[in-house]
Amino acid sequence: MTHRAHRDQAPDTGVTYVFAVCRGTRATRTADVTGLVGMPGGAAVRLLPSGPLTAVVQTVPAADFTDEVWQSRLSDPREIERYARAHHEVVSAAAAHGPAVPLPLATLYHDDDRARRALDDEAHRFHRVLKRIAHHAEWGVKVYEPATAPEVAEPVTVGGGGLEAPAAGAGLAYLNRRRGVQERREQRRERALSVAESVDAELREVAAASRRLRTHGAVPGGDGRVHVLNATYLVAEHRSEELGVLVRGLGERTGAMIELTGPWVPYSFVGEV
Amino acid sequence: MAAERAVVPWDSPEPLSGPIGVPLVDLLDRVLATGVVVSGDLVIAIADVPLVRVSLHALLSSVSERVPAPWADGGPL
Repeated sequence: MTHRAHRDQAPDTGVTYVFAVCRGTRATRTADVTGLVGMPGGAAVRLLPSGPLTAVVQTVPAADFTDEVWQSRLSDPREIERYARAHHEVVSAAAAHGPAVPLPLATLYHDDDRARRALDDEAHRFHRVLKRIAHHAEWGVKVYEPATAPEVAEPVTVGGGGLEAPAAGAGLAYLNRRRGVQERREQRRERALSVAESVDAELREVAAASRRLRTHGAVPGGDGRVHVLNATYLVAEHRSEELGVLVRGLGERTGAMIELTGPWVPYSFVGEV
Repeated sequence: MAAERAVVPWDSPEPLSGPIGVPLVDLLDRVLATGVVVSGDLVIAIADVPLVRVSLHALLSSVSERVPAPWADGGPL
C-alpha cells in the first residue's frame, strides 16, 4: 500500500491532481479558476467535467508527487504548510460556486481519463455527500483549560525563627503540600473536561453532524493553556449566527476559553457517507 | 510556527475566506486527517490514514515540543 508510486513514469510526465468535486451546474461549469495558483510547479488550475459532476483539477509534474518526495515533504513543516495552504485555497475557491467535496491532499491520477473514471465510479457517493453538505458549513470549536495559575508557595508555618532546626513534621507537611498540588491539578483537569463535554452537547443541538478531532495538548507559544476539546460541526448556513451566539454565551457561562473557527468547506464531513 | 498560532481565528460568520489567517494546525486537522473519499492512482500513502497519522504526529509534536503535554496520553480523547 505504501509504495504504489509508479517508478516507470517518465520524470517529466504530468499527472492529474484533483482538489474537489462539484455538481456540474452552470455556475461551476463556467467558474473562473484561472486566477488560482494551485500546487507549486503545477500547470493552470482547470475544470474537468465528467457527466453531472465537475472536478477542479491541475496537471502537476509526476516527479514532484511521488511517495518519496511526499515523505520528506511531510517531515518539513514549512513545505507541508505550503502545500496544505495551496490545496485549501483551491478547495475554498471551488466551494464559492456551490457545494464542493474536498478530496484529501495529494489525490492524484495518471491522467484526466483515470480521474474521470474514478469520479464516475463513485458518482453516487459524491451526489450523496453533495446533498449532505449543500447550504452547510463546517465550524471548528476548541476549548482550552485556562493557563495554570502559578502555584502559590504556602507560608511555611513550622518553626518560628529562622535559626531553629526544622520542627518535626516539616517533611510530612511538605508531602501534604505536594499532594495538594497534584489534587488541585486533577480537579482542574476534570473541571475542564466536564466543561468540554457540556460545550459539545450544547453545540450538537444546532449542528446537523459533529465530529471530535484529536486534541493538541499544550498550546505552543508558552501561555500554558491546554487544549481539552477539538470538535467540529456541520451547521446549516441559516444557523451559523445562532452557533456564534451560543459559543459566546458558553464562554461567558463556563469561563472557559472557547475558540471558533470557520466557516470551513466541510472537510470533516465528506468521508463517512 | 509559533507565530502561526498567534493568528486570531476568524470569529464572525463571513463568506468562505481564503487561506490567509487560517491556523495551520486546524488546516492540517482537516486537509490531512479527513476521510478518504476516493483512492487516487498515485501517492496513495499520503491519503493512507496510518501514514498520515504517524507523519502528522511527528510534525505536530515538533511544533509543540517546547511545551510538552501535561499528561502522557496526549489528551482526554
